[in-house]
Amino acid sequence: MDHLEKYRDIVPDFDDFKAIQRLPLFNSARINTLKIKRTSLLERLEAEAVPYQTFGWYPLGLRLDVESPGKLLENLLGYIHIQEEVSMVPPLVLDPRPGEQVLDLCASPGSKTSQISQMMKNRGLIVANEPSLARIAPLRSNCERLGVLNAAITRYDGRRFPRGAFDRILVDAPCSGEGRERRGPGTLAKSSCKRSLDLQALQIGLLKNAIRLAKPGGVVVYSTCTYAPEENETVVEKVLNEARLEQISIPGLKECPGITAWNGEPLNDDLKKCARYYPHLNDTGGFFVARLIKN
Amino acid sequence: MSPGSSRIRNVFEPMDPSEVAGLWHSRFGIPESEFDGFQFFRKAQSIWVISDSDLPKLSYEALGMRIMSLKDRPWKPTTSALQIFGRHASKNLVHLDEEQFRVFLAGGSQLFGSDSEPGYVVVFYRGEVLGCGLYSHGKLVSQLPKERRMVI
Repeated sequence: MDHLEKYRDIVPDFDDFKAIQRLPLFNSARINTLKIKRTSLLERLEAEAVPYQTFGWYPLGLRLDVESPGKLLENLLGYIHIQEEVSMVPPLVLDPRPGEQVLDLCASPGSKTSQISQMMKNRGLIVANEPSLARIAPLRSNCERLGVLNAAITRYDGRRFPRGAFDRILVDAPCSGEGRERRGPGTLAKSSCKRSLDLQALQIGLLKNAIRLAKPGGVVVYSTCTYAPEENETVVEKVLNEARLEQISIPGLKECPGITAWNGEPLNDDLKKCARYYPHLNDTGGFFVARLIKN
Repeated sequence: MSPGSSRIRNVFEPMDPSEVAGLWHSRFGIPESEFDGFQFFRKAQSIWVISDSDLPKLSYEALGMRIMSLKDRPWKPTTSALQIFGRHASKNLVHLDEEQFRVFLAGGSQLFGSDSEPGYVVVFYRGEVLGCGLYSHGKLVSQLPKERRMVI
């Protein structure tokens, strides 16, 4: 937990932030409207006496008060997908429309890919890219279980994904995962500034290529599940010559603005338009999200 | 087999949609119009379906969903595809009771009476498609993929 001390000056109510790291997350799931209507799914859960609550901020999000939500028949049938609450934010910020061409540059295991697909009503195309062969199988399996019919899978190194003129691109980048501590305790113990800086080079490469692959005026969303500014604002700052930031606000969810100084160094003032989601403010995991418009 | 054959080159080759729709119609009675708005590709012994749209020139690992395998005779539908298209089936389908459902979900085989033709069938439980079963000689064998099996 000492690793978090360096964030004392940027995280509001820091002691609450530290304390909540030890609290496990609720089980949460997303209703998959590619296969079932929201009302029908809720009726099923009620008929089977599965205790649930819907999120206040997202009607398709559910907190499930069951030990193994993965064993629900609804999960096998692809009516729900187990997904962390705040990880449902980046697709909403991306805001894809039916018929568009979308690139999901770091797609596996496909939670966000399938959420994007349901927002597109299975129309248009998502290119779901995943460089790791071992991670293609879970990506495919989730898309198939969830009835995704508009995703094509590629296996490029995202930094060298060759070509395209996409309407929207999601870069849900590999990261140190500090925001996952409540789901998998021990993540924080493995975090370090060195690890963040190692990842930063990859993240910058991914985001720069994503900007190149977007059509002019296209939307690029950059997200991570970590707090380290080295993996967030510092990365986004590198592309501000080629794209501009847009303010993010999800009604019902508390976000903090991106930071504009770190380790005594000033950062671009526009970075305050990024959103930081902290676990103690919404009782979720942690996330960082930036929405960019290519020049 | 010629060197240009898809089975050797292992690439996605576009297919005539009516060819695929015709196979599903003849086995399961699914109206061919249910397959409108999709494009179909064959790669080696599998057929894939993806929503109609322009596909950029890229090297693909998967195009939409694998819907059937041609490896053996008769062709075999995937459970994922039956969960999408199977609810429109009008023949070669079976309905399970709760006990049969448990056996099927666990991946088991069971004695089963049905007037279905022998071969692959759409398996329903409480009005919803669970997936693919193999029916023959009074037995129903679950074809659920291993990662989707469950003991409840």
